Amino acid sequence: MEYLNFEQKRQFNEILQFLGESLDITQTQFDAAVRSYNVVGEWLSSPESQLYRYRPEILPQGSFMLGTMIRPINEDDDLDIDLVCRLEGKQSSWTQADVKAIVGNRLADHGTLKKLLELPDGRRCWTLQYYDSANFHMDVLPSVTSTGYRILMERTLTEAEASAESLAIRITDKYEDNYKTDSIPKNWPKSNPFGYGIWFESRARISGREIKLMTEAVQPVPKYQKNKLPLQRVVQILKRHRDIMFNGDEDKPISIIITTLTARAYQQETDIYEALQNALNRIPAFIEERWSEKHQRNIKWIPNPVNPEENFADKWPEKPKKEENFYKWLFQVKNDISEAIGQSSMTSIMESLKQPFGENLLNEALGGYGKSLLHQRESGAMKMAASTGIVGEVGRTTVTQHNPYGKSK
Amino acid sequence: MGRASRISLLIQAGTLKSYFPNSQIIRKGEQELRWTHTVTPTPLSKSYTISLHYKYGKGAKVYVLHPKPLTLARGKKLLPHVYSTPEQRLCLYYPKYREWTPSRLYVRTLIPWACEWLIHYEIWSVTGEWYGGGIDHENEAEKTEMNNAA
Repeated sequence: MEYLNFEQKRQFNEILQFLGESLDITQTQFDAAVRSYNVVGEWLSSPESQLYRYRPEILPQGSFMLGTMIRPINEDDDLDIDLVCRLEGKQSSWTQADVKAIVGNRLADHGTLKKLLELPDGRRCWTLQYYDSANFHMDVLPSVTSTGYRILMERTLTEAEASAESLAIRITDKYEDNYKTDSIPKNWPKSNPFGYGIWFESRARISGREIKLMTEAVQPVPKYQKNKLPLQRVVQILKRHRDIMFNGDEDKPISIIITTLTARAYQQETDIYEALQNALNRIPAFIEERWSEKHQRNIKWIPNPVNPEENFADKWPEKPKKEENFYKWLFQVKNDISEAIGQSSMTSIMESLKQPFGENLLNEALGGYGKSLLHQRESGAMKMAASTGIVGEVGRTTVTQHNPYGKSK
Repeated sequence: MGRASRISLLIQAGTLKSYFPNSQIIRKGEQELRWTHTVTPTPLSKSYTISLHYKYGKGAKVYVLHPKPLTLARGKKLLPHVYSTPEQRLCLYYPKYREWTPSRLYVRTLIPWACEWLIHYEIWSVTGEWYGGGIDHENEAEKTEMNNAA
């Protein structure tokens, strides 16, 4: 089916919607993660804490914030949740090393958190490894912002004019030369997860649908988002393809590259199928080349949209395997999608998607689709078209109630 | 519900023709009716030729004529919700509930049910699971047949 007609696209889109839903973490997992990081936030900000006066708060960043998190291939594997520990100001003498240590010490003072805390610390983060009720792995990034940051963030969320670049935070990095010596935050490494989130939200927005992705994400108790925007779904689908293709390979294309390029290439398509196809075609156009003094040649450059001097592909020159894998992946995913669309029927489309996305996931997505069809009939909303016998939301006659009788196994 | 009277096959044939102008209808007075048509249950579905056969005193039976045999889900030997896998005769309602009786129009009951069956069959053929609801039962005739074949 080289060209799908309007109705076929609509149906394919619906199935991709179920595929996206099957990739989501569950509400239970989401709530457990929020509960757990709130415990951390409360502990850091309680009056006896040395950090109390800097009003520490724990906020999600990365895919948990963007709503693009996906379940791991293997259900028993950890969910990686990235968090920012934001301090509003700091004691003037504190260096990066001090901030890192004070956050770490406070975590270690808590009976339960102490057991979860991984030692030694990471390059920029403290890691908490939860293994009891839920399996997750939380990376907590200590950071310092100016006072009034919350107000600035809220203003940026409501006023289109405000600049996302002003939301940069200062972080600590063990490998920086000034790690133990410099107490002036503006000399510290910079990161801008919330500015990035606002940029992503602006790319994801489609007319006619109100979105509060970031406003919601930075709430103390964010709500689980069941209905996702097409851009979020496309990112999830692409990340899943990457996971299946590379599994544990450390040189796999990284999520931030996939997310950024997809968001750039996305053109506010309202259906996932078109968004996916168009984005895949447009992605290469957003990979720049810039002259590198260090390498004395042009290197690939995937700029951070809220800090164009930062190259998300900065590891490619030293690790050409990463660049190679990225292009291999892009070629493969395009191929797999067009292969699927080229099939002659839904059943063969689904069969062809099993390998690149995982059989269990496909079965689950189709199960969701099947259940929705049953629900549609049971609620009296299923109709049958005359002449073709197409069953769906429109048609000449409502499909009346009945019980298909017989052995289903 | 009182016992409604049987709908005349003339009316059944008329509504069938109205809904499916290109379908084939063979009627023998009020004794027998055979309707055959090719449907596509969803925009991305394959085409299926289905047939409804009513015979006085024997009720109405619905079959998938083409493709034959229908592809089975991996690892399955029998179709779900059928009276017979080799005959491809569909179980569309639970007789005890009288969901279908000769007093109901085919175009409002058996035919939409058959189209719906086909969608759920397609999902089943990929996943091996039936999501179309209904009542499970062990089909005695089918089981015997499988045992004899074994």
